[in-house]
Amino acid sequence: MIIELLYPDTAMMFGDRGNADYLKACLPEAEFVRTSYTDEPYFVKHKPDLIYMGSMSEKTQKKVIECLMPYKEILRQRIEENVPVLFTNNASEVLFDYIEEEDGTKIPALGLYHLHVKQDLMHRYNCLVKGTYNGMTIVGYRTTFTFAYGDLESHPFVKVVKGTGMNKQSPIEGIHDHNLFATYLLGPFLLLNPDFVQYFLREVLGIKDAKPAYEETIREAYRRRLEEFNDSHTDFYQ
Amino acid sequence: MNTKKTVRFYLALWIAKLSVVAIRLLGRPATNLPGRLAMRICPDFFAVVEKPSYVLGVTGTNGKTTTCNLIEDVLRDQGIGFADNHEGGNIDTGILSALIKNTKLSGKKKKDLAVFEFDERSTVKSFPYIEPDVLLVTNLFRDSYKRNAHVDFIYSVLDKTIPSRTKLILNGEDLISSNLKEGNARVLFGIDTEKHAETPFPNRINDLTDCPVCGTKLEYVYRRYNHLGEAYCPKCGFGTKPFDYAVKKIDYVKNRIAVRHGKEETELKLLGTNLTDVYNTIAAFAALREYGIAAEKIASSFEKLKITETRYKEIKNGEYSSKGILAKGMNPVAISQVLNFIRSEKGNKEIVFMFEDLEVRAESCENVSWIYDVDFEFVNDESLKHVLVVGSRCYDVKARLLMAGIPEKIIDVCPKDADALQHVRYEGIDHWYVLFDITSTKIGWKLEEEIAKRMGGNNA
Repeated sequence: MIIELLYPDTAMMFGDRGNADYLKACLPEAEFVRTSYTDEPYFVKHKPDLIYMGSMSEKTQKKVIECLMPYKEILRQRIEENVPVLFTNNASEVLFDYIEEEDGTKIPALGLYHLHVKQDLMHRYNCLVKGTYNGMTIVGYRTTFTFAYGDLESHPFVKVVKGTGMNKQSPIEGIHDHNLFATYLLGPFLLLNPDFVQYFLREVLGIKDAKPAYEETIREAYRRRLEEFNDSHTDFYQ
Repeated sequence: MNTKKTVRFYLALWIAKLSVVAIRLLGRPATNLPGRLAMRICPDFFAVVEKPSYVLGVTGTNGKTTTCNLIEDVLRDQGIGFADNHEGGNIDTGILSALIKNTKLSGKKKKDLAVFEFDERSTVKSFPYIEPDVLLVTNLFRDSYKRNAHVDFIYSVLDKTIPSRTKLILNGEDLISSNLKEGNARVLFGIDTEKHAETPFPNRINDLTDCPVCGTKLEYVYRRYNHLGEAYCPKCGFGTKPFDYAVKKIDYVKNRIAVRHGKEETELKLLGTNLTDVYNTIAAFAALREYGIAAEKIASSFEKLKITETRYKEIKNGEYSSKGILAKGMNPVAISQVLNFIRSEKGNKEIVFMFEDLEVRAESCENVSWIYDVDFEFVNDESLKHVLVVGSRCYDVKARLLMAGIPEKIIDVCPKDADALQHVRYEGIDHWYVLFDITSTKIGWKLEEEIAKRMGGNNA
């Protein structure tokens, strides 16, 4: 099994390195390929078993878009070939049409999904999110300078039950297309959602009988968190 | 911007000052309420209120308060009066509250020198109205993801807000903060000795891997921790510059450091036992020298200073010790530094983690993603005999500890703070470390004291 980590030195902020480490814990036999700015991505000539990219700064987003732009059609092809892809937090935004900065400048992104974001760097938006996907309750935290707009309906991931979706009016969180999962949720996302991890390992990566690592501990953490998320006194908008 | 004192200004001033009296009579802790009130009544207040002639500002991610305290202790010892913002806090309304306190009913300022700690993000609201003459930036690291996002963001905020006339005192070993405001006058401080890594292996996070000028991978000559150290770009020549204030020698046994500045060499008492304390000391020294206090006067004042026990306290009983350490929650770099300190100590250890933010717990559910940027791996060795994780997020932290390779059999969890003491182990342990957040200092200190009563086989 080969897992490609895109730009891990700069695109694993906000604890997202935990997602990569957790994948290692769940898949101890997997080989991890680290792609840096000067590398041709592994997915260009190969079909990795999973491509992962995490949170980054706004400056890094521009660099990543520049690095991936020559390969955007290959990335699109890989997605259509059902290569599993997991992008967390604002890694998702590099897949959109453009990123609009505060002064109105539009930074073209890869254009794989007809969405765009507007940045507001003076206002950081934080909230808890609870939603559903495929019968599972998904939980996580959102912390962004942006909201996404555009074609949110074509490839929805999580249906938001409480909290904020792609924007303040949207009940949709994230993108799910073939085996691509792009979500704004932090936690890290995988560690917070043991049911999703089990589904991801078994159904998406095709590893039968796979179990989440440290299952007892993360399920108890999940149970307690869900209890708090279900409590009507819990402030979702901190 | 109106800077004329109007009737509205005086009304705002008097009501704000009255609020200070009211707060004191109620026995409540001082807050930024006076500043908030004043701005409500008179939106121009910040622009109008008289500012001290000399403002020495301190900002940065870690070490602001400790460095401010050192500066103030020396000024006090030297008989130099100053205004400070400890009571009101370091955001804009806290600075304003300090200015109100420094203003007479007549509207005239009292003290002509201010030592103000500025919250980095809040400089957007403070610096348009109060321009520091000198600004010390201790360092820039990752901090609260919810508020400060990431280092790039805070760097860009400061780079935009710092006034052009402000002289900067910057950490020369921090290639992020030391490049702020290229055009401003500056001096650099740094540690020009013991050039090696402080950590057993590189930290999980390094916010400067590539040259900020040309994007080429930087080459590190040495990396103390995270991105602090000496580095150069092999392509464009960007890199560490010589220090104006350099620590040439550190003696942790005698608690002394030797500082070179120009042709001067000064020996200073070191208050503390680790590298962070050295940085705080040299930073404070540089700020005081830039203000104009002679080196020998600074040194003589330092001799009289003692380590304050607000952030670190040790209780010893023979060969045993119990240590309470304020470990800022949501600040992975600060906590990693504490863990590195614990790693370096000899003897069998127990660590109690109780760094949950109690204020968030009361209303919401804390986002603990930051724990995946903390170097828990540093304490994974044979000397660690027991770990107790306390609080609502104890299972999340346990998962992280398991991922750091810490054996499950030595990890216990305790969701309720009140039950923590009964889960502490004593057999086979020499040193206990209680790490707590700024919101849990009371229970943290209490636990440390209770452990101290029981350590070494004593009955409480």
